[in-house]
Amino acid sequence: MRRFRSTVLGASCALLMLLTACGSGGGGKSNNPGGGKVACTGGSGKSLTVGVSAAFPENILVAEMYAQVLENCGYSITKKLDIGSREISDPALVKGDIDIKPEYISSELAFLDPSAPTSGDPAVVAGRVRPLLAKKGIALLDYSPAADQNVFVVTQDTATKYHLQTMDDLAPVAGKLTLGGPPECPKRPFCLIGLKKTYGVTFGDFKALDIGGPETVQALDAGAIDVGLLFSTNPIIQAKHWVILQDDKHLQSADNIAPVVRQSVLDDTIRTQLDKVSQALTTTELTQLISRVAVQREDASAVATSFLQDHSLL
Amino acid sequence: MRFLTHAHNWQGDTGIAHRLVEHVGMSLLATVIGTLIALPVGLYIGHAKRFQFLAVSVGNLGRALPSFGVLALVFPFTLRYSVLQFGGLGFSATLVALVLLSIPPILTNTYVGIDGVDPDVIEAARGMGMSEAGVLRKVELPLAVPLIIVGIRTAAVAVVATATLAALVAWGGLGRFIVDGFATRDDSQIMAGAILVALLAIITELLFAGIERLVSPKTSTRVPFGTTRG
Repeated sequence: MRRFRSTVLGASCALLMLLTACGSGGGGKSNNPGGGKVACTGGSGKSLTVGVSAAFPENILVAEMYAQVLENCGYSITKKLDIGSREISDPALVKGDIDIKPEYISSELAFLDPSAPTSGDPAVVAGRVRPLLAKKGIALLDYSPAADQNVFVVTQDTATKYHLQTMDDLAPVAGKLTLGGPPECPKRPFCLIGLKKTYGVTFGDFKALDIGGPETVQALDAGAIDVGLLFSTNPIIQAKHWVILQDDKHLQSADNIAPVVRQSVLDDTIRTQLDKVSQALTTTELTQLISRVAVQREDASAVATSFLQDHSLL
Repeated sequence: MRFLTHAHNWQGDTGIAHRLVEHVGMSLLATVIGTLIALPVGLYIGHAKRFQFLAVSVGNLGRALPSFGVLALVFPFTLRYSVLQFGGLGFSATLVALVLLSIPPILTNTYVGIDGVDPDVIEAARGMGMSEAGVLRKVELPLAVPLIIVGIRTAAVAVVATATLAALVAWGGLGRFIVDGFATRDDSQIMAGAILVALLAIITELLFAGIERLVSPKTSTRVPFGTTRG
């Protein structure tokens, strides 16, 4: 799912680049080397290239955060934020074209081993993906509480009417409700199959729309569907005050964000600094930041700076 | 082909039989509405010899209009008005896109068919004291019918092929198999959908070829009484 969306977003980002600067462009150097208010040494001019998993606003934003905290510590940072997909960024990391990128643990696991079992527990997923990366000379640092994953969403009105807070609450009323999601939903464990097996939820009807995209959002907004499958960091969820149904039984695989770093460049300063960024980042705040970049068209680099300053990381 | 030969794939609300009915129903409705709009306009333009530029430009521009684009634009619009939410999610948006697709060939062919009737024949009819409505109904229309049927045939075949788009906006029809098969990487399902749509388009084509033969005037082939062939 995520891999597919990354490609789509990457493509639309590439298209946007024809019109405006998408993200902060690739290959540039930051303007403010070591100019933060928070003192940090340890970089001592070591050269690092920060890349992205795929060039879409969320990933570029997190990559900017990595680049800026490290630059503040005296590393000489080069940014490559225009890589289109994981199919390119993973080999680039192994080869050393880039040294660091933000990844999604479940998507990376599925990419490295499509047959690997998924889990809703990020610790389990990280435990599975870590040795696969280590074999390639890549270290997986601690994952952030921030995750971009599938969520079932209802409007405030629907939540009030049927007293919905968690996925469990759906079971008794689902027969009256219509679910909207991607066409593959009926055949996927994270969707209709898992809904029935894990939560005992069988919807009255299912409408095949798109992968967390405009159709599902429009249909939910108009009331043509009652429940929509969206991505957790979609800014529209907060903007419309929609309700994310809590996935207490972990039907969705945990796609938390974590830095992946080449073993040969990794040192204590990098680890400490990136851990601090990961700890500061939450899904809620990341969603707000993405909204500033994707909806209000603010510069990703500036948004990353303000986040880091707010959390005394810069 | 395995998908097509499994009995359970044909049954139920998501089975081939039901999708086929949906597909044919949607196509038929769109073509009928398109004909009801385009035919009178084409007849008027052809007979009155006025607004010809309209027939030509609607014909040309209309054919360049991508149905997928129309669908993407109309779908969110139909969601906003409850009066447009008949027939299930995505029905009205698809219908609009297909009706717009069917209008240009019918309009152009009707206009060209009527416009192309020999002016001497029309003069003769008027000379016999026929009213304008009579000229149109008894002279122009019968002579233009073969071309009009070709226009409707072109529209119907295009509509049958394009009705697959309905599946992109959550509606049914045979496109469901193509879109769902693509999403789940189920090649046999995609093939089944594509084959069924192609067959349906060919059947539509043949059906109209038959109608055309039935309604064409048989003047030129008939041998007058009392003459002998030599």
